[in-house]
Formats: sequence, C-alpha cells, structure tokens
Amino acid sequence: MNSDGFLETKGLTKVYSLGKINVVALEDVNLSVEEGKFLGVTGPSGSGKSTLMNLLGGLDTPSSGSIKVEGKFISELDKEELSLYRRYQVGMIFQTFNIISSYTALENVAFPLLFAGVSKRERHHRAGEMLEKVGLINRKDHRPAELSGGEQQRVAIARALVNKPKILLADEPTGNLDTSTSRQIVQTLAELNKNQGLTIIMISHELSMLAEFADDVIHLCDGKVVEQEKIR
Amino acid sequence: MMLFICAMGKLLNRKKSGKEPVRISDYIEHSFSNLRKKKLRTFLTTFGVVIGIGALVSMFSFGKGVQKNVTDSFKKMGLFNYIAVYPSSGRSRGEQANMDPDDPQNQIQYEQVSDSANSPILDDNFLQEIREIKGVESAFAEIRFPAQIRFNEKEQFSLVSVIPADVCRSELMKLRAGKAYEGDDENSLIINDSLLRRMDIKDFEAVIGEQIEVSTLAMDPNLLNPMKLMSIMQGENLPFNQESYTFTIAGVAERMGMGGFIPVRSDVYMPPGPAEDMKKISLTNIKDFFQPAEKLKGYSAITIKVSSVKYIDSIKKQMKDRGLGTFALIDQLKEIKTAFMFMDMFLLAVAMIGITVASLGIINTMVMSILERYREIGIMKAVGASENDVKKIFFFESGVIGFLGGIFGLALGWVVSTVINQIANHFLVKQGAPYTDYFSFPWWLCLGAVGFSILVSLGAGLYPAVRAARVDPVVALRHD
Repeated sequence: MNSDGFLETKGLTKVYSLGKINVVALEDVNLSVEEGKFLGVTGPSGSGKSTLMNLLGGLDTPSSGSIKVEGKFISELDKEELSLYRRYQVGMIFQTFNIISSYTALENVAFPLLFAGVSKRERHHRAGEMLEKVGLINRKDHRPAELSGGEQQRVAIARALVNKPKILLADEPTGNLDTSTSRQIVQTLAELNKNQGLTIIMISHELSMLAEFADDVIHLCDGKVVEQEKIR
Repeated sequence: MMLFICAMGKLLNRKKSGKEPVRISDYIEHSFSNLRKKKLRTFLTTFGVVIGIGALVSMFSFGKGVQKNVTDSFKKMGLFNYIAVYPSSGRSRGEQANMDPDDPQNQIQYEQVSDSANSPILDDNFLQEIREIKGVESAFAEIRFPAQIRFNEKEQFSLVSVIPADVCRSELMKLRAGKAYEGDDENSLIINDSLLRRMDIKDFEAVIGEQIEVSTLAMDPNLLNPMKLMSIMQGENLPFNQESYTFTIAGVAERMGMGGFIPVRSDVYMPPGPAEDMKKISLTNIKDFFQPAEKLKGYSAITIKVSSVKYIDSIKKQMKDRGLGTFALIDQLKEIKTAFMFMDMFLLAVAMIGITVASLGIINTMVMSILERYREIGIMKAVGASENDVKKIFFFESGVIGFLGGIFGLALGWVVSTVINQIANHFLVKQGAPYTDYFSFPWWLCLGAVGFSILVSLGAGLYPAVRAARVDPVVALRHD
C-alpha cells in the first residue's frame, strides 16, 4: 500500500488546539490506494478515522504531511480549489446521512449539481438517473422524514455520485442502520466499486463486512495506522 | 457607500477557478425556495421592509407631489415670466420726487442711494418706455389701495388691485364664475370668492352682473388742523375724505393660496380706467399717507410680463442699470429647490428610521437562518459549494427579501398615499379648494424604491452571508 497510487498520503498529521492543549488526532499516516480499490478503515472511537476522512475529502487541511490524488497535492490547494475537488473528484456519505430535511429525495440528489452550474432541467434529469441506479426513483418526491434509514443513505449515495467523482468516502455509512440494511448498502457500494471502478474508502466497525467486500483494511489507533491488512 | 459597492462587486465577481459558475437565476430560484420553507418568518421580515419602504415612498411622493404642484402651477400661470420693478433702496414715491441732491442734509443719504436718485419715476411714460423693450409682452403698474366693499347690505374692508384686462384674461386669474372685464375702461370688477364667503355669499354665479359699491379713503391735508389735533387723536374728525363708486361684478376669482411675488393677490381687481379717476390713498409707504394725492408721483412698482424667460436677465439688467430694483420669481427657483431638497432630506431621515429597523430585522432573520441551517451549510460545502457560493446563497436570500419588500412596500405606499389624498381632497374640496394630487409617483421613485430596498437588504445581508461562508464544514456536519 505504500507504493505510488491513485490516492496517497505521506506523513499525514492533524493536530487540534484546544486552548493551550494540542490534541494529535492523526499522526504520520502513510497510505497508498490504487484506483478502483475498496479500502476499509476501522478502529476504536477517537482513533482518527473521521479526521482521516475529512482530510481525504478536502473538508479539513492537515497540520503536516501531504495528500496526493491523481498526482495532485490536495493538501496544497486553497479553499476555492478544495471546493472544486469536493465537487468533482470526491463524494462523501456519512453515518447521519446528512441529507437536507426540507428537500425531496430528487432535490437532495440534484443539490451538488447546482454548484456545478448545471441547468435545473439537467439537474433533475441526472438526479433522476442516480435515484434509478440506487432503486429509489419511485420515492423521488418524498422528503427524508418519509424515507427509511436505508433509503436515506441511498439518497446520500446518489447525491455523492451525481457529479461522477472517482472516489467515494464513506464515514460509517451503516452506523445507523440495521444489519440487513447495512449489508444492502455495503453491497451497493461494492457493486459501484466493481462495475464502475469507483475507488471507495469506507469506515466501518463491522469487520466481517469489510472482510467480505474490501480489498484492503487499515486499523487506526490513537491517530496511527497500527495494522494494514490485504484481503484480496 | 463606495466601500459597500466595492464589497458587493468583490462578492459577485469573484473569479471562479475554471468550472461553470452557479447561474444567477438558480441563486434567485434557490433563495425563493428557501424563503418559502419559512413562510411566517419570511413574511414578518419582509413586512418590516414593506413598512419601511411604504413610509419612504409615501413621504417622498408627498414631497414630490408638493414640488410638482408648486412648480407646475407657477409654470402654468406663467409666473416665471414676470418681473417686478420697483425703486431701489425702498424709497417712497414722495422721496423720489422731492429729494434734492444739492441739499447738504440729504448728501449722505443721496450718496448711499445714488443709483436710485438718478432712477426714473415709475410713471406712465416709463411704463410706455418699458413696453417698447424687446421681449416685454406687457407691463402694468402696481396700484393697490384699501377700500370698503359694500354688497348685499354687508361691508368688508379689503384691498383693491388695479389689473389690466389682458392680465385678468391670462392664466394668472382663475375664475370661478363670470368672466374677466373686457377692456381697461370698463366699469366692472372681479371679486375673490373668499371675500364673498366672508359676506356669507356662496352662490357665485348669482352675483355676476350685480352692482357693488367701493368706498375709498383719501387724505385731506386741509383737515390736518392743529386746532383739531386733540379730536383726531381721540379718533374723531379724521383727516380723510370718503368717496363711493359703483361697479358691476364681472367675475368671481379663485383666491390665490400662495404667498410671495404674485401680481394677482388682492380681494378685488378693477381695470386701470375707472381706478385712475378714483380718489384713493397708497399703501406703499406710511409717509404717503401724509402726501396729497397730486404730490404722489409715479407708481410703487411695475410688473413686467416677458414673452419668454430668456428675456428676463437682459430686462433685469436694463432696469438695474437705471437704478431700479427688480424681482423675478424665476430667481427664487434655486432657493425653492433648496428648500424642497431640505424637505426631502427631512422626509428621508424620517423614513430611514423605518428602513434601519427593517434592516436589523433582515440581519436578525438571516443570522437565525444560519444557526438553523448550520448543518445544511456543512452539507453545501461537503458537496462542493465554495465559500463564495454559500455567501451568495445567503446574500441572494437577503436580496429577495428586499425585492419583495420593495415591491409590496411600493404598493403599500401607493395605497396609503391614495387614501390620504382622497381623504384630504374630500375635506379641502368642501372648503372650496380645487381637487389636487398631493402625492406624485414619478417612475424613478418607483424604480428607486425597489432598488433601494434591494440595496439596503443586500447591505443587511452582507454580515450574515460572510458569517455563513466562514462556517467550518467539519464542525457543521457534526452539528445537531
């Protein structure tokens, strides 16, 4: 995993300042993920999994070290360039789904296209296609409150992929779902990984699921990669 | 203001790195959509703007209405075409005639008024001379005298003006009944509606063609006998002769409500012919009371009507060169405009209180909106919105509030102004005033009100928009 890859981190470190105390959330993380791979990330609470996701997703900037995606140093981008990276190169899904409660499923999926300057007609057309892919086209006019947890996460997946990114970052996407629904969601991600060559990095506590679907798994503890496991 | 415009420009024109920018129409649609989701709060905030803009529009339209009425009526009456000419330094006609420049006692005063001492006496010869100046359409002397008016067994003390027939037929004289006298020698007069009202006469048509008695007073110096001084001081044996004359009422005129220089501003108007034969006293100067009528040479003032305002300056210069004082209302236009500007500023200041309160309402609503949509801002950023995009979303929402506030504020201002106008006219028309539009809605006021509302709202939305843009997406996405 340390050879040159599609997504690479070198000496990735994130330190948060809480008053006079510095908290090291991530320390000297070196990763290399090839294009089209499914990387599982696991570890106890507070081990730095979400921090790693936020850094890889361009939502946060590292204290030191670098992130390189497709040969471009993400860690050196300014705020405007980072927003373009988030818009076009990476999609993110979360444990709490993070879909907008006042929007319908279709509006939620179409939302990222607004910032890409896509016309309303085209936005709705492409959002409809994505909902069809995740099997929710018949629920397109429903608001999140009218959808089950699994359906909401599918809406989030559709939204994350509507701008056709090459990387999907999933921060515990099954954390709020029952076992059966969790499996369906991860299966959906695995299909996207296999069929469309989508690079997926997913945080999960469910090791059996990671063992079944991921290509590689890393274990984080206290902000450090303590174990790297190649599944297949 | 410049700082504000620069900030707006920066906000709207920030360079996008390569990719397609969000369409303005999408921002607007998105803003309407977001505001619709919080109907009550949007309504209350917008209503604040509506009140502010409504007040601004009503006050401004009132200010503009007053200005329009004044300037339009001046223009319609042709008042800007008149010049008043009078002896300089305020000296009376007696002084004009009697001052001896060689008299050492008069030397200092003579030097001080040297121009006017050489100035011509404002008599008929001078009038004729004026009428021949290029650009002079007509000229007439200002002759006004007090008289007792008797009609229908009622008496009123009033001022009589001598006005030529052609001036009576002009726009200056607004007749409510009858017509102007035909010629300068006609034995008829025009009476003001207000004087008739004071005599309890309301049917103005009925008085046309009726006889009216005008009694004048003239000073008789022969009656100023020192032996009678005590009785004069006690109000008996006053040194006046009273003469009565009978006229026919030709017309009833509308009373001029405005002050300042207006050639037609008495209660009774009569032609020069019969007025010349009447014995009367002048009101120009208190000293004239003690001059025998035959010693009063010249008129107190002359009014010149020019064919076009372009002749005003040259004629004024000619009069000044001859040591005469002049007054033209058009000169006062600048002062009138300054006064109106102060009125506008005052009205604006009052209306700005409402606008300021409305702006605070917008800031409060938008800040509340940020707190409520904190997580949503995080989502926006996670799916690729830049700080500038987030800023614009909130900025446009403020703008939409301003737009709606401006449109409905304009409508409210129009409705309120129309209602007030109707109520005011209802009462004023009853009192004899003509129907007047006291409010004016020029196109620039309508556009300006909406534009100003948007501008103020954008200004109010600036801080919340910047604050929204600075939200940390990592924190926002964890926010409950």
